[in-house]
Amino acid sequence: MINFEEELARFSPIPEVNQTQDAIYNNDLKDLSDIVSQVTAELLAKEPVSNSVVRR
Amino acid sequence: MATARPVLCPSCGAHVMKNGYCSQCGMNLYVLKKAYNTSNYYYNLAYDKACARDLSGAVDFLLLSLRYNKKNVRSRNLIGLIYYEMGEVVKALAHWIMSANYKPEKNLAVRYLKALRKDPERLDAVDRIARKFNMALAYAESENYDLAIMQLKSAISDNPHFVQGYLLLSLLYIHAGNYEKARVALRRVLKIDKANPLALHYLREMGTSDEIIIRMRSESIENDGLLSDVLLSEEGREDDQLSVKKPEKKKPIFQEIKAKKNENVVRTGDYSQISLAKYSGLYVFVGLVLGVLLFYFIVMPGQTRKQKSENESMVKSYSEELSDKNAKISEQESEIERLKGELENKELAIATAGDAAMPDYSDVRGGMSDEDLEKMVETE
Repeated sequence: MINFEEELARFSPIPEVNQTQDAIYNNDLKDLSDIVSQVTAELLAKEPVSNSVVRR
Repeated sequence: MATARPVLCPSCGAHVMKNGYCSQCGMNLYVLKKAYNTSNYYYNLAYDKACARDLSGAVDFLLLSLRYNKKNVRSRNLIGLIYYEMGEVVKALAHWIMSANYKPEKNLAVRYLKALRKDPERLDAVDRIARKFNMALAYAESENYDLAIMQLKSAISDNPHFVQGYLLLSLLYIHAGNYEKARVALRRVLKIDKANPLALHYLREMGTSDEIIIRMRSESIENDGLLSDVLLSEEGREDDQLSVKKPEKKKPIFQEIKAKKNENVVRTGDYSQISLAKYSGLYVFVGLVLGVLLFYFIVMPGQTRKQKSENESMVKSYSEELSDKNAKISEQESEIERLKGELENKELAIATAGDAAMPDYSDVRGGMSDEDLEKMVETE
């Protein structure tokens, strides 16, 4: 049976047109290149060795 | 010898070293290429789903595609288009703005945004619908269900493709025990989004049979939304060349919402009934042409062949007769020649015989009188 409260909680308010900017800024989507960059940066920060060693 | 072009990192734009790593951000180019390919793969899956009007499924795949490459402009454009079709215009705008930001030229998102900017009334309507939905949600949360239903009905009448509105309305109807009205709202959702998981979940919970659900899903929606076949064909698959249509070829991308309000309007155009009576003249003409062609190509050759054979046999008989006549004539001529020769011989023989029988008049003197001549003739 449908639990009305649970189902109602699935719905969220719809942004209005003047909130488009917020919608864009809040859409902080990380793609694979972001994750790889982040991991590389963390590795470099953890082990401050030459780039060539890390890349090998 | 031409020098090789330096490979630039798609992520930061710096040079890529020979080992395949970016000299600045340290990104492995091979990994990046794999990610972009995967992003395109999910875009293609989403495109197929969108063509089949499985909009929720398409959105899921597009979000996956953007996880692999957030700068995939086609994925951004298509997800915006789907959100617009489902009545979530602000989400659509956000994706289109980001798409236009990543690629300002030769991008369909720029065209969509321009079309929206040209129509400020539409944006007002979008705002109005969002406000009504938010109010309805607030009413529902505060258990003012009747007010919530009124607000939702008003929002849906402004945009008949507002999927979230239909879903919330059906939930309120289910809560009120009005399953028939809930089914009507969910049926409309399945017309717009054929595999909407929430709509299917509500229908199954209400005890709707799979057969009826399948029938609901097979119902087609009028192509009056933004997600028309024309626009989907413009989006195209990832393998295709990106082609932006010329401005003069643009189709109106926003349906007239007011026209949709009136259910009693008899739609004309592609799917209107076609009267075949106006083609009766054409049918007669085509029948005549076919008759003439039949006569010329089937009846006439037989007749011609028959006539030709008759003529040939006639010519043959006449020529035989002519040759017989000629033979007879030549025979007659030769007979005549022969007879002429015989006649000449006879005349010659007669002449020689006559000369021998004639009396000798050598002793006749010149002074013969007439009496003597008569006497001589008488004696002769």
